[in-house]
Amino acid sequence: MTDTVLEATGVTKRFAGIVALDDVSLQVDRGERVGLIGPNGAGKTTFFNCVLGVERPEDGRVLLEREDIGGLPVHARARLGIGRTFQRIELFTESTVREHLLIAERTRRGDGRLWKDLMGRGRPRAEEVARCDDVLELLGLADLAEEPIERLSLGQGRLVEVGRALMTDPKLLLLDEPSSGLDRDDTAHLARTLQEVQAAHGFAILLVEHDVELVSSFTERCYVLDFGCLIASGPTAEVMISDEVRTAYFGDVEVAS
Amino acid sequence: MMLAASVPEDIFRAILQGTPPGAVYALIALGFVLTYKTSGVFNLAFGAQAYVSAALFFHAREEWGWATAPALILSVFVLAPLIGLLLERLIFRHLRTASAVAKLVVTIGLSVALPALFGLIVDFQAVAGRTPEGIVPDGASVFYDPFGVYAFSRDELVALGVAVVGMLGLAALFRFTALGLAMRAVVESPRMTELAGIRSDRVSAFAWALSSVFAGMAGVLIAPRFNTLVAADYFNLVVVAIAAAALGRLVSLPRALAGGLALGIFIALLNTFLPRWSADNAWLQAIQENLTPAVPFVVLFGVLVLWPAIGRTREAADPLASVDPPPPSLAATTRSAGMTVATRVFALGFFLVVSLVVFFRADDSWIFLVTQAVILATIFLSITVITGFAGQISLCQGAFAAIGGFTVFQFVDRYDTSVLVAAFIGAAVAAACGALLSLPVLRLGGIWFAIATLAFAFFFDAVMVKLSWIGGGDTALLEGTRVPRPTIGPWDFANDLSFLALAVVVFVLVAVAVIQIREGTVGRTLRALRGSEVAAASIGISPARARIVAFGVSAFIAGLGGAMLAMQQQNVNYPSNFAPFAAMFWLVLVVALGSRTVEGAAIAGASFALFAPLVLRGDLFAWILRSPDRIPGVFPISPEWRFVLFGLLAIQFAHHPEGLVENGKRQWMRRLDRRAGPPVAPPARQPEPVDPATGAGAEGHDVTAAADEAAPVGAEESR
Repeated sequence: MTDTVLEATGVTKRFAGIVALDDVSLQVDRGERVGLIGPNGAGKTTFFNCVLGVERPEDGRVLLEREDIGGLPVHARARLGIGRTFQRIELFTESTVREHLLIAERTRRGDGRLWKDLMGRGRPRAEEVARCDDVLELLGLADLAEEPIERLSLGQGRLVEVGRALMTDPKLLLLDEPSSGLDRDDTAHLARTLQEVQAAHGFAILLVEHDVELVSSFTERCYVLDFGCLIASGPTAEVMISDEVRTAYFGDVEVAS
Repeated sequence: MMLAASVPEDIFRAILQGTPPGAVYALIALGFVLTYKTSGVFNLAFGAQAYVSAALFFHAREEWGWATAPALILSVFVLAPLIGLLLERLIFRHLRTASAVAKLVVTIGLSVALPALFGLIVDFQAVAGRTPEGIVPDGASVFYDPFGVYAFSRDELVALGVAVVGMLGLAALFRFTALGLAMRAVVESPRMTELAGIRSDRVSAFAWALSSVFAGMAGVLIAPRFNTLVAADYFNLVVVAIAAAALGRLVSLPRALAGGLALGIFIALLNTFLPRWSADNAWLQAIQENLTPAVPFVVLFGVLVLWPAIGRTREAADPLASVDPPPPSLAATTRSAGMTVATRVFALGFFLVVSLVVFFRADDSWIFLVTQAVILATIFLSITVITGFAGQISLCQGAFAAIGGFTVFQFVDRYDTSVLVAAFIGAAVAAACGALLSLPVLRLGGIWFAIATLAFAFFFDAVMVKLSWIGGGDTALLEGTRVPRPTIGPWDFANDLSFLALAVVVFVLVAVAVIQIREGTVGRTLRALRGSEVAAASIGISPARARIVAFGVSAFIAGLGGAMLAMQQQNVNYPSNFAPFAAMFWLVLVVALGSRTVEGAAIAGASFALFAPLVLRGDLFAWILRSPDRIPGVFPISPEWRFVLFGLLAIQFAHHPEGLVENGKRQWMRRLDRRAGPPVAPPARQPEPVDPATGAGAEGHDVTAAADEAAPVGAEESR
């Protein structure tokens, strides 16, 4: 129980009468890879946003390492150890790859005072650069460190997002449909790299994904949402073949065997 | 007026009294919302359009001796829609995918350029004290009193009538005509409308023409309320219209109408019922006297702060909005190391030459102008921080600079403080005001931040400046707001040349600080925020804190610069230096020339002070030709042209947010590259469309197409 990284209990969110999330409870343990799947409009993104602090649920609690983070804004949760990537890629325009990681590193250290800038002590330090380069090396991005972000492919961009999140020393990494826009090879490469990085850093991953193949191969456990309700959970291999999931994805059709 | 009126009667009278101006506000708010809804342009130039129509009407009546009808037709029904059509066709049609902030900046440029351009073409100059007349004879002197409580002037009745006709016409257009239906569709989604086979461009052009007629009509109708026709007053008017439209949540025309009327009536009610304080509370009285003109700004500010959701009204509107490519980011890519070195070497050389010339050859008037250029460049660095680094448009830098100037005046006048100490106190006070002001408006993004700062600038202008403990009150009107030159130990800066040296030192110090901030944590944090706010928050950056710091620093610099300007002129000179409309030209200059760099601010400062005498007056030619007699006959050109020139230059901000100077240099570098190196391969796949300015290699290194992350290439860099 002490190894629980994220625990959400009874999360409920309504939008103008529509129940987007209804009493959703979910748990992610240290070093675990957990999937969250469901058809379009099932409430996956809303749940994500509730964990991140973008949305405030009407009811329920969100605990990070048993601390209630329900009242904190997005950036405070990020500092406590929730990293994320974006479905529609979000990078800092007009910055190089390394600059992305450097500013994340500086933010983590949290010593960005104005007077230090004025004294000329705001520039990246050697140890910061070294730590960034380690992560870039791990992600296979070392050769691209000086590239402006506009020149990267989508797959590389997503890896930069991962690297940027890693600099904050996350305890939990939320991946929002990382396969969207990528082809099979790119997706496989991303999954491989993520597994390697996770082995090195030991954070937990919560993955929201449409790509069933990726979920099956990448996650150990998964939760299934449909119309805002959790309809199934358990080891991924079992959940994938359960009746509830089939019904949610393909409708209530009797399979003539 | 009756002596002992009952309260209901007072209310009734106030309503009657407030309705005619309310109707004009409603008229202009309607036009404003019409443009905003059909083209997404938050048209701050609306006031300028209203001014141009009013000025042409006035000019045709007075100078050309035309009768009312033809003058009205020419100014309101020919010129106004023509301007609207031209703006849509030449500018805004091409900016459909530009960000809202970029469009806002374009309209700010137009607000500066249009009145100046009109004045130059028609040779129109406002004559002080010549009150414009309305469209009916004796409009201001013949009264009707239908209810026995309030006498309407003829002008007011006409305004009311025209407003009613305009609103009914608009309602009929929307309800009963195919064009009206198409316009309603375009409001919902231009792209969806196009899919249905309607050319949304044309509908939008029509909407521009129509709303411009509203602007022109409102301009002509409201003219008799001003003593003199001045463009600044009309800019003021558009802020009132925005307040009315914001009361109507900017989305619906009927609500904008109601908002305009409500504002007019509210001001009248306030005038009637505000208790009259006695003379021993002089400062309260000063607030009270000036509160009524400031009501729209207070209302606007209040609406924005209390109802921040207004900022999201449009963004979510178009279901097909995401088919457009994302707009270019507000500021451009980083420049290469080589270019930075080249720029600094060139700047140093240029600086040495200019200082030699100035210190040994220049006469007093040139020293004065150069000093002004240096001080303005210092103030412009505040725009570099807030707009160039933080990517936000602030329209109250003039107010911050004025706070600096006034603080020096007050401290020296009352406590006999050392002038330089007072200048730093002034900068600190401005910084505190900036940080404080940023607190309620933090949640507002993009254009709404700009509008909130504009509302503050006008509030400062209307109320705060008049207070005796800020702007000096009535005594300042008589004696001016005198500020002495500073002295440090043995050095007395009363001498213009030594004061210039001080100004240069201050500029260099501020410039170094700005560069340190840009390269340091704060600058890099702001760059991340500007790139993607959600991503910045996801790594733990607090957007609120970063913006408070940016706004505070910016206000500090503006305050310091304002104090320096007051010292130079030995007077604060608020109306000519710092009034909102005057300060708007600052922003126009800086974004036109370059908001990202110290260099851009320096060139903008030089342009502000020196462009007119050096280029437009022809002194530069005289110097090059070595004879004042051989200046070409086109000189001297009217200094007004700089408003036109830089105002129109600001339009390119939508495509090249880095500004003219930086973009020009980049073009040159690219040309050199093409000559020197092999052609640059375009990137194969990009997460985002690449700004044309950044897509090609800026340094001539060979980038092979990076298609697959399994084979990352293109790293052979030589920096």
